[in-house]
Amino acid sequence: MFARKTGWPVLWVVIAALLVSACTQTPTGTGSSPTQAANPSPASKVLRMARNAEPFSPFVPWQIDDNPALFISVNVYDTLLRTTKDGTGVEPGLATKWTPSADGLTWTFTLRDGLKFSDGSAMTSSDVKASLDMARGGDKSGWKDSYVAIKDITATDPKTVTITLKQPYAPLLSVLAMFSSAILPADMAKATDTKDYDNSLAWKTKGTGAYYSEGWKKGDPIILKRNPNYWKGTPALDEVRIEYIPDDNTRVLKLQGGETDVVDFVPFSQIAALNTQQSLKAQTFPIQQSEFIILNTSKPPLNDVKVRQALNYATDKDAIIKNVHFGQATFMNSPIPQGTYWDKSLAGYPYDIEKAKALMAQSSGSKGFTMDMQVRAGRTDFANIAVIVKEAWAKLGVTVNIQTLDTAVVRTNYRAGDYMSTPSAWTNDMNDPTEIVNYAMRGGASPFAYWTRYNNPDLNSKIDKADLEQDTTKRQAAYSEIQKIYLDAAPLVFIAYLGASAGWRSNVDGFFIDGLSYYRFENVKINK
Amino acid sequence: MGRAAYIRRRFVLMAFVLFGVTIVIFGMVRILPGDPAFLILGDRATDQKAAELREQLGLNRPILEQYWNFVSGFAHGDMGQSLLYRQPVGNLVLTRVPISLALAGYAMGLAAVITLTFGIIAAINKGRWPDQLIRIGFLFALTTPNFWFGILLILLFGLTLHWFPVAGFGETLPQHIWYLFLPALTLALQLSAVLIRNLRGQIILTLRSDYVRTAHAKGLSERLVLMRHVLRNALLSTVTIFGLQFGFLVGGAIVIETVFALPGTGQLLIQSITARDYPVVQAITVVSAVLVIVVNLVVDLSYSFLDPRVTYE
Repeated sequence: MFARKTGWPVLWVVIAALLVSACTQTPTGTGSSPTQAANPSPASKVLRMARNAEPFSPFVPWQIDDNPALFISVNVYDTLLRTTKDGTGVEPGLATKWTPSADGLTWTFTLRDGLKFSDGSAMTSSDVKASLDMARGGDKSGWKDSYVAIKDITATDPKTVTITLKQPYAPLLSVLAMFSSAILPADMAKATDTKDYDNSLAWKTKGTGAYYSEGWKKGDPIILKRNPNYWKGTPALDEVRIEYIPDDNTRVLKLQGGETDVVDFVPFSQIAALNTQQSLKAQTFPIQQSEFIILNTSKPPLNDVKVRQALNYATDKDAIIKNVHFGQATFMNSPIPQGTYWDKSLAGYPYDIEKAKALMAQSSGSKGFTMDMQVRAGRTDFANIAVIVKEAWAKLGVTVNIQTLDTAVVRTNYRAGDYMSTPSAWTNDMNDPTEIVNYAMRGGASPFAYWTRYNNPDLNSKIDKADLEQDTTKRQAAYSEIQKIYLDAAPLVFIAYLGASAGWRSNVDGFFIDGLSYYRFENVKINK
Repeated sequence: MGRAAYIRRRFVLMAFVLFGVTIVIFGMVRILPGDPAFLILGDRATDQKAAELREQLGLNRPILEQYWNFVSGFAHGDMGQSLLYRQPVGNLVLTRVPISLALAGYAMGLAAVITLTFGIIAAINKGRWPDQLIRIGFLFALTTPNFWFGILLILLFGLTLHWFPVAGFGETLPQHIWYLFLPALTLALQLSAVLIRNLRGQIILTLRSDYVRTAHAKGLSERLVLMRHVLRNALLSTVTIFGLQFGFLVGGAIVIETVFALPGTGQLLIQSITARDYPVVQAITVVSAVLVIVVNLVVDLSYSFLDPRVTYE
């Protein structure tokens, strides 16, 4: 009778293995914590969110270099100033008042009364000094470039911070509203910069934001608990649980199935369909993001401005907006996104194939040429754009070879100058054009005007001057001129301004993505 | 040679196979173009910063030295540091192995049940409509890409019928079993498609043999003949394929884990390849190879239970 039973042990082993392995998974940090049990709220409000990516940077504001970490950071760590909802100005944050000296070199910030970290300890000016010093000078800071104008920071008294500058610097307030200028307790700020710091400790946060985290392990959901000491008043939600669902379709299905309340990165093609369901809402929010094709201006015949302009005129932006972005994008008329000092009067390059042909005929590319276009694997939007322009540019005698490559390869090719063109995108990290003009339009040094390798010394000096200009009207004029020069030089094929999409269940109230694509949970509620 | 000696010999062979695996995977991840330093530091990094990071991560050491560090570290249970996450690879990978293993085990369990049920039904109804239906149905399962098949199952069982959750892993043991059902089923259906064809053919062959006729002549019931005489003999080659398919299962799970948002090794592997996180890719590959080898060993040993005539030499 041995024979008959043989099938079963195998099955039992499988089941036992499953049980044992499943058991070892249960205690990993997702259960309710003792503090929660001791503090029973009448109706526990938990917001469930599914995101497209998991953080990977160390969770220290000035060490963050990825959006998933950054979006959590703004909910946990607050800054002296905050960017306004539309992303074009600043408003009080941890500081209520700020005054510059007459020469614009000394700025005095007054902190809000009674500020506390999430653990209840008081926040003072020495925490501000320690944190900002780490952001601008810490060994591990990735954002030092933004703070070079700062000469010194002093904690004048517990409620006052004085920042002195090497030279007048117009974007200072915007820089202080950036996520990398967030305030940590002084000892924690210093500890994170030591060589042997255990980065997993940084997830046990102590901030002044609306929520705090008790710890996080990669693979688990991120759990944010409301900060009882939050200066704007206790948030309505007890807890936000952020899950990682990489697949776009699965994320939307999870929302439809009622397993999550909010999802980000809803494919544009699905927004209309989701809105037909009563229980769901989906939309795009305007953010400061632009999409374009990088042209390597150091490679003939792309070194000829007429060739670049011709390619711009030959690109049908409306067709791309309609077919690739399902109408959820707008025409890109200027080199910078629609934020502060964006010049809406610029005409951009409206589709005009006759003009394109005329320009190409006068150019060094008049006999036709072949160029590669490197598309990042997995980016279907870029791939579709490449296919559309390949067909359009063929009318100018340009043969486009589309190459699909891993992001790692595209980036390595950037460095080596080994490319002719590649579709790409830009999102502002701050509400001031200083970032994009210095980083993506100034030539001469890495990243070489965002890898266009365009270098115009006259433009570079105009960029320097604009940073120093204190008068907002003059500064506006300076940036308009910069935009015009760059637009005419056409190192990019300017395509579209994109929004950030999200979807949520109709009972979620107050979910909002701001102009810099951050979302804060402080005003989000769940209705019955 | 007895079973114990056989197992010992297999373990020695396993060491050689693993040695080969380490060379292949180490070489392959380094042949891939793309510099991890630039991926970690982003576009803002200067060339000098990138060089410093490469130095710090040991990426500019001689290739043989890097290989030696990888292998000797592994032998001592140290899988190195993840380049991207800056934490020990062991922590990252080992907590995820149980999830992938549970998925594979679950899928194999379901596949066993599905294969036995439908394989037998198809065989005893050879040529009639149940047989045709099963063969055509599983042909679909076999030829459909599993990421799409997974989404179809989500649409049907998750969204329309609400029997199972759409995606995720759950928090408690009953939840894990419930959440893992659809991904396991996706894998199991494809695996069964291969196995059913084989089992059906084997049963039909066995049914024609003399000893089956003898059994019938003895007056044994149809059921007893099938279970005791036919199935046991027919199963042998199916079990072999079953074992070999475990490798396929580990591969298929990579995609399925992403579709169903399971935090297993497959999902981590995809992220790590894109990020050129060499130590993580190496660790997952080696751990997976060990699993496949062990499972195949177990399968080989199971022959002697199914067929006492099998000896090991």
